[in-house]
Amino acid sequence: MTAELLLPLLAAAVQTGTPILYATLGEILTERAGVLNLGVEGIMMVGALAAYVTALATGHAGLGFAAGAGCGALLAAVHAQVCVGFRGNQVVSGLALTILGTGLANYLGTPYIGQSIPGFQRTALPLLDQIPILGPVFFRQDPLVYLSYLAPVFVWVALKRTTWGLNLRAAGEAPEAVTAAGLSFARLRWSAVVLGGLLMGCGGAYLSLAYTHLWSTGLVAGRGWIAVALVIFAFWHPGRAVLGAYLFGGVMAFQFRLQALGTHLPSSLLLMLPYLLTIFVLVAASVRRRGQAPPAALGVNHEPPD
Amino acid sequence: MILGLAIVLSLSVSALLLHWQDKPARDALVILFQGAFGSWHALEDCTIKAVPIFLCSLGVAVAFRLQVWNIGAEGQFAMGAIGATWVVLQFPQWPAFLLLPAMMAAAALGGGFCGLIPALLKVRLRANEIIVSLMLNYVCILFLEYLVYGPWKDPVSFGFPMTMVFPPAAIVGAIGSSRLNWGLVLALACAVGFWIFFRFSRLGYELKVCGESPRVAGYARLPYHGLVIAVMVTGGALAGWAGFLEVSATLNRLQPSIMVGYGYTAIVVAWLARLSPASIAAASLLLAGLRVGVENLQLEMQVPAAFGGIMEGVLLLTVLAGGFFVRYRVRWRGFS
Amino acid sequence: MRKGCLLLGMIFLVWMVGAGGAGAADEALKVGFIYVSPVGDAGWSYAHEQARLAVEALEGVRTAFVEDVREGPDSERVMRNMARKGYDLIFATSYGYMDSMLKVAGEFPDTVFMHCSGYKLAPNMGNYFGRIYQARYLSGMAAGAMTRGGQIGYVAAFPIPEVIRGINAFTIGVRAVNPKATVRVVWTKTWYDPATEKEAAKSLLDVGCDVIAQHQDSPGPQEAAQERGAYSVGYNTDMSAFAPRAHLTAAVWNWAPFYLEVVESVRNGTWKSTAAWPGMEKGIVGLAPFGPMVPESVKTRIEQEKARLINGETRVFAGPIKDQQGNLKIAAGETASDEALLGMTWLVEGVVGTTE
Repeated sequence: MTAELLLPLLAAAVQTGTPILYATLGEILTERAGVLNLGVEGIMMVGALAAYVTALATGHAGLGFAAGAGCGALLAAVHAQVCVGFRGNQVVSGLALTILGTGLANYLGTPYIGQSIPGFQRTALPLLDQIPILGPVFFRQDPLVYLSYLAPVFVWVALKRTTWGLNLRAAGEAPEAVTAAGLSFARLRWSAVVLGGLLMGCGGAYLSLAYTHLWSTGLVAGRGWIAVALVIFAFWHPGRAVLGAYLFGGVMAFQFRLQALGTHLPSSLLLMLPYLLTIFVLVAASVRRRGQAPPAALGVNHEPPD
Repeated sequence: MILGLAIVLSLSVSALLLHWQDKPARDALVILFQGAFGSWHALEDCTIKAVPIFLCSLGVAVAFRLQVWNIGAEGQFAMGAIGATWVVLQFPQWPAFLLLPAMMAAAALGGGFCGLIPALLKVRLRANEIIVSLMLNYVCILFLEYLVYGPWKDPVSFGFPMTMVFPPAAIVGAIGSSRLNWGLVLALACAVGFWIFFRFSRLGYELKVCGESPRVAGYARLPYHGLVIAVMVTGGALAGWAGFLEVSATLNRLQPSIMVGYGYTAIVVAWLARLSPASIAAASLLLAGLRVGVENLQLEMQVPAAFGGIMEGVLLLTVLAGGFFVRYRVRWRGFS
Repeated sequence: MRKGCLLLGMIFLVWMVGAGGAGAADEALKVGFIYVSPVGDAGWSYAHEQARLAVEALEGVRTAFVEDVREGPDSERVMRNMARKGYDLIFATSYGYMDSMLKVAGEFPDTVFMHCSGYKLAPNMGNYFGRIYQARYLSGMAAGAMTRGGQIGYVAAFPIPEVIRGINAFTIGVRAVNPKATVRVVWTKTWYDPATEKEAAKSLLDVGCDVIAQHQDSPGPQEAAQERGAYSVGYNTDMSAFAPRAHLTAAVWNWAPFYLEVVESVRNGTWKSTAAWPGMEKGIVGLAPFGPMVPESVKTRIEQEKARLINGETRVFAGPIKDQQGNLKIAAGETASDEALLGMTWLVEGVVGTTE
């Protein structure tokens, strides 16, 4: 493959990976606080619809993006209330959210199918786009992609460099310690789940505002579940989430380009690779270092002592 | 109790949504109920749909007893279907009395193997079983797709992704003149076995103890690791049987459309039912009924298919929230 | 708390009991439709839904549909329920419904079953499809005339004969006006995933294609073409709203005339079980209006060819036609039989891609 084809491939990997990246970051934030959210798919659907409808009604793509993020946070708040507030089962609540979110979006979105919006368009960043290789790959994208470059940094700083992040991680590792330190365990988890939902909503909004400029049933098409898988691939680390999302996007983009050039590999087997790789990474890391294990209290609801 | 309230609440939300769309909400709910449980035919349809959910759910519940989170029923279901189909494709000329047991064995092996992986990784390497079993779902479904799009594709299917139609010997037949098949009997037998096991056997008791507190299990020198492997393999085998029934009894061939998320529904059911076989059966019927009933609603009132998802989601979330108020009823007054 | 719940439940039950039964029986002809995807998708099911609305408008006919029905046990149940509820005529619009429909048709001999895109028949079950490949052939001529670099991309769903036939017809159309042009094929293995299908189109644009055609239900590929300043050819319905600057034309379905005819024949008792495969002459398939960028000369040429197809002067699959390896598949002076078309698994010369 020549450079002429390689650069568009990499640029496509970035774009395809972006919605997954937003969602993965959201799930990382959520899981770091010890809450498993399997509702990503549903939250992304609702985010995509809310963003699209708002952009269509107001004519402002930015407002749409905010609405998508907001509605994602809102739906995640349901999960937070059920899991943290009511101490309901996280797996079941997440699955319920996926069912509900997908149902709601498809139900309410029916009248909007078949319309198109301008949404976000590709705009090159001046100067930066002149950098060889990096320019065409990273800096000739749409504004939401640029925003997604900041998101992992934001999540990383929030988790690693703030007291809130420290407490948050404690809530995911040792809930008793958080309570013992006199912190509000529930509030910590609440904030993580809602912020995580906000990012997942952004992922959904990206699909309807920038990637396709339209709303349709099944727009998310399993990307939420991919995000859940990528969290593990990334080992709950925002930086590696970037790698994982772009890798996944790259595999998709790569197999299409291989076909377009006239060669062929069975795509089912190719698409299996990221998941097998994830299990492998998980196993390898479990063998090597205990320190890199998933948050110890992941999926466990903490019952405060009465 | 809580389930009842949750049903009422989700019905109310649905009624509101219907009313908002200018549909007669009350008639709609009656139609929904009629479609699900209102006639012998409807009950039959519901039962047929409930059987695979029930089997998967039983498998999930066995592991949940031990506080092991098996969310890989979807993949185990797929592997069961693949295992059973493999036997048919290898030995299509075998008589039924050989073929069907072989298919069941292969389905149990396929599903069980798929359950064994997360179990082994959990006990040997402390890998989180939720995550490994979830990952395996993707792998197994993609593997199924690879097979039916590739080596197993029926040459006379016009290129559509499906295997050949099974020979009559490979088909689990109907019970008498009804549309129910003998899979129902298999499911009931599994349920009775499950009940007896947990009620009367020593191992069943140990499982419960281990589930309630692994630490106690350690003091009592119970073989926790062995138990984890046993429940995951059993769960996988049960889900595998569900896959076997789906290809053998209802579809008579393997095609990707068998994957309709029964494995995920099973988790919801196992949890709703609080893990006892009788209530698992009831909850499977309830969810199957909801899905069948929504079709009736579509047919009679042209309500979109997505409506069922809303009802199901609201129902589950209400039950989840409601559980809290039951467990902490004492505090109820403090909240208001 | 407990009492409150009970009370609520009671109130609800009383409210439910007060409800009236479902719709009273009447003399109208009841026609049921079963769709594989939600109807709002602007694609395959949407095209059928438009025709259902035309049937609904008939005097003395009542219609209903069930959408998003999975192939397999679910579809069997829906068909059986429709038949039980006294539906006189049932249309099922996906290939995978075929075996279920055959089974149910055996149980309800008084109901007429119509299966789209399959091949099995029963005394009370017919099958039907349209020769969309004729429209694809004409749209290929438009693409062949408008390409600058001689490379055309084709985003395709699944490697099944229906799609392969479409690719071949399109390619024959392209090479009829532009003998050196090639058509590159990418399989998405999806019918409706706008983002993935758009990505597939972009990959084709990246390797130098400047016209994008599609056999997908979403307008994703149209968008991709417009963004890159390329041209596009749509499918199912007129997709020009999604890409006004790119959309040359589209191969479109128009099921209404056929459905109306079937409903009439069932109503007056003349219906017979047949394998119906009407084409352009019946108006079941056609071309969407040309975009403003298509020059008059091209339009005229395509219109002429369309007229010749309709009156049978020309056929799309008329020899000599070679496959990708250069083997002669249809000899000069021969045309492909319907059986050969229905089971087509090879690609014609000029296509770059595989059928796997």
